[in-house]
Amino acid sequence: MIGRLTSGRGAVLVLLGAGVIGLTGLTAGCGTQTAPVSTTPSLRAATAPLSTSLVTPQGTWAVAVMGGSAASENNFWQVFVRPAGASRWSLVTPEGVADNGGLVATGGAGGASLLVGFRPSQGLVFSPLAATSDTGKNWTPGLLDADLADVPDAMAVAPSGRTLALLSDGSIQAAATAGAAAAGQWSPLATLSGLAASAPGRECGLVAVNAVSFGISNVPMAAGSCQRRGVAGVFADTGGAWQAAGPVLAGGFGGDQVQVLGLTRTADGNAALLLAGSDLLAAWSDGGRWTVSAPVAAAGGVRASGFGPGGSVWVLLGGDRAETIGGPGGSWQGLAALPKGTATLAPGTGGYDALAVAGSELTVWRLSGAGWAKAQAINVPVQYGSSS
Amino acid sequence: MPGMNSGLSPDDPTLVAAFRSALLHQSAIALLIVAFLWLLWATMRTWRLVTPAAKAEADGVDGETAATADLAEAGGVDGGVRAKGEGAREARGRAVLRVGFGFIWILDGILQAQPKMAGGLAAQVIEPSASASPGWVQHLVNWGGTIWSYHPITAGAASVWIQIGIGVWLLVARNGPWSRLAGLASVAWGLVVWVFGESFGGIFAPGLSWLTGAPGGVLIYVVAGALIALPENAWRSPRLGRLLLGGIGLFFIGMAVLQAWPGRGYWKGVIHGQPGTLAGMVQSMASTPQPHFLSALLADFGSFAASNGFAVNLVVVLALAAMGAVFLAGFVTGRPRLVRYAVWFGVVFCLAVWVLVQDLGFLGGLGTDPNSMIPFVLLFSAGYLALTPAAREAPAVVTASAGAEGAAGAEQGRGGRERLRLPAPKTVRTAVATASLRSVGAVAALGIILLGAAPMAAAATNRTADPILALAIEGDSSAMDIPAYGFQLTDQSGHPVSLASLRGKVVLMTFLDPVCTSDCPIIGAEFKEAGVLLGPADKDVELVAIVANPIYRSAEFTQAFDREEGLAAVPNWLFLTGSVSELTQVWKHYGVAVLDLPAGSMVDHSDVAMIIDRTGHIREVVGADPGPGTASTQSSYSVLLTQYTHQVLSDP
Repeated sequence: MIGRLTSGRGAVLVLLGAGVIGLTGLTAGCGTQTAPVSTTPSLRAATAPLSTSLVTPQGTWAVAVMGGSAASENNFWQVFVRPAGASRWSLVTPEGVADNGGLVATGGAGGASLLVGFRPSQGLVFSPLAATSDTGKNWTPGLLDADLADVPDAMAVAPSGRTLALLSDGSIQAAATAGAAAAGQWSPLATLSGLAASAPGRECGLVAVNAVSFGISNVPMAAGSCQRRGVAGVFADTGGAWQAAGPVLAGGFGGDQVQVLGLTRTADGNAALLLAGSDLLAAWSDGGRWTVSAPVAAAGGVRASGFGPGGSVWVLLGGDRAETIGGPGGSWQGLAALPKGTATLAPGTGGYDALAVAGSELTVWRLSGAGWAKAQAINVPVQYGSSS
Repeated sequence: MPGMNSGLSPDDPTLVAAFRSALLHQSAIALLIVAFLWLLWATMRTWRLVTPAAKAEADGVDGETAATADLAEAGGVDGGVRAKGEGAREARGRAVLRVGFGFIWILDGILQAQPKMAGGLAAQVIEPSASASPGWVQHLVNWGGTIWSYHPITAGAASVWIQIGIGVWLLVARNGPWSRLAGLASVAWGLVVWVFGESFGGIFAPGLSWLTGAPGGVLIYVVAGALIALPENAWRSPRLGRLLLGGIGLFFIGMAVLQAWPGRGYWKGVIHGQPGTLAGMVQSMASTPQPHFLSALLADFGSFAASNGFAVNLVVVLALAAMGAVFLAGFVTGRPRLVRYAVWFGVVFCLAVWVLVQDLGFLGGLGTDPNSMIPFVLLFSAGYLALTPAAREAPAVVTASAGAEGAAGAEQGRGGRERLRLPAPKTVRTAVATASLRSVGAVAALGIILLGAAPMAAAATNRTADPILALAIEGDSSAMDIPAYGFQLTDQSGHPVSLASLRGKVVLMTFLDPVCTSDCPIIGAEFKEAGVLLGPADKDVELVAIVANPIYRSAEFTQAFDREEGLAAVPNWLFLTGSVSELTQVWKHYGVAVLDLPAGSMVDHSDVAMIIDRTGHIREVVGADPGPGTASTQSSYSVLLTQYTHQVLSDP
């Protein structure tokens, strides 16, 4: 047999050589990293980061992450409050749960309290809650036995106390009262697939739910990202059926996919922050009609956003830029170049505070005149390593 | 890759001490095996000498003559009967492979005995080697790596003895069936190491290069083992040498093509301001702990490669191509002269690569073998030697012997094939007495291999981890016998539960924060697993956790935790809570610290587990810090808790 192998050896040699060289090339090709075939969906869902601020009758609240570590379990989210009428901020982060996964805050019932949800992290898969009615001095525990979505408007509380929670899978749960929410008594209100299959959902081509709120008459509302161009996905639950409740965008945005980054209740109705293509739009509703602002370019992406009194809207953009708009009929105004490390803005009397983070140090900068003046510094006792 | 890495430091003193202790004990057993076999062999031989002599003297014949004649009849008078084929001189090529790889296997076994190997091989060798490979390779390697991470001491020690045993076997069994079996053993274990230890030699990962060890150093051991396992007739003809050289030649040409392939970073000494593929590799090797002269040499070569990347790679490509072409020519023509020059060149070139690129293969970090250059040298040298005329070697001298092949008889069948036949019981005694010293050595080597293989096989079927991992994290338990504080709390369903109500059962108890993100979910899972491992004894055990959070302590949270960890369906699981004052009392009496921390931190509390006996006395207190919380450490901790619980259950 060996003899036969060595006969006709030239041809065998050529064949074997070609086979080896081919196999080598194949191996080199397999081993060489190639660019993956693109499987990007047609709409890349965008959401607003958790850093934000909100105003309630008790005061102005800010949510920002501190720690500055590359390891997520060494970054801890904090809640700060500047009580109404006061000029100084205090650290009031609720205790008892590690908040490495993020915090979601919303005004409480009647605006007299704040409700905070802890996003799950590491081995914790559900979301404890904490509510305060005395500007964060004391907190009452609550429970959402599910994981809150990673968006700043993942919770909403109606004046009646009815509470909505948006989960990470896009479904929405509701608790009848604040007490029920605290006791963990939640029931399903909607699912992403159900909402997407509804008439307005199909009209929009809904791919994600990004915010929940309440509208006029305490109607539950949801908003998200639409695949179909020119359609803003805002929906209201009217007696168990979801209806389209979003703004109609001007012709110039007819070719853009629209994503709702934020939705909140105002005194007169709702305010929303929209991303149409690469432009940001603010919109306000009085329960029936929407007013849409002029666009502002979302250059560098949205680093933080929030709503203020009177339906005002602010956004932090890349390159230390910030844009604000006062309300319906207003126009976007750029703020002075932000202090380094600004994590969030907070509306104040006559202007804004910029809360800048460097590790465990928070610096409050106050806008005065044409520039920012340092107003306060808070050393936050970040417990590095406590979540490891 | 879940399961692969125990997460413990390779330096962990508990693991290191346990590994050393295991090796020490097994060394004693290995010596006993060798001593026993030698003693048995010597005894049987003496009996064989004495019995004919005594019988002869009884018959009036000279005893010594009779004994010598008897041994001669059995086939040898020189201290051992030669096994069939042992009288033949071994083919030189085969001898080079057998002796060379014999020593290499022994070296690898010794390297495997490094103190950090038990705790570090999975994390520092197997995992990095698999990380660049496709998912299916990682999945397969993970299966094997899991055995190591679950049983690090057993697996580590097994690797030592299996490799030393194979090496000794190759060295002592010069030819015949025992020698061929040694080759097969080399193939079998080599394949295991190639797949699970080297992730198929990295052939499915990007960046494959002969310089760095492609196709995996241990695969060459497999090839060598297969060649050694061939019938010895195959080595009598130059055709084997030609085939071997032809195969090596094709492989080298393939590697030359691969090395020359553009876009893989080998042609450039510097890429985007950073050292190129080869230069970067050499420079990183230079920074590993090793003798200074060697690191300086590597650093210099790394700088040279960075400055002259094209030239260095060109030399490599040409060298591989030239050697490959000459070896192929050897296959085609069968003439050894040209091949000889290529062999000498190859030896020098491979040694240079071994030092300058592979850093001797085992220096710095957890080296397990000398990499691929030495094995390649042995392989093509053997091919060249097998190419040279077989007439130089003496023809086989077959010594007739009824049962001379140790415990297994062998006979030369037609066509040169050796068949194994089972010996009759009467010949086993004769076989032992008349076996050669080499055969006894081979049996001893096999015994050493089994010393490692048997525990490893048992470990592979054991799906729970050894408790040594848990002991490494938290140390041993504290045994005691003190009355446990009689708490009165409420379970997750709202029912009152007191310690007194649990009398008659053994209580396995811990303290958990229901909204904890790190340790408590792991400890909860460990308790659940311990309940499963207890088996039927579970009915006499209550698994109890007491809330360790003054804020998030209501039954809603304990129920949510139970659902999160799958504990809601465990019938003997109790998650107890109470008012802050009640809980504070319990924490105080059990010595559990619970501290509310600010700024977004979770509540800090002691991780501890206690075993309370049927009369309400604390019998064991175990640290419950889950450490890295990997699958292996979790399993280990569950096993440890189960063992302690069984101990307390068995106490009267």
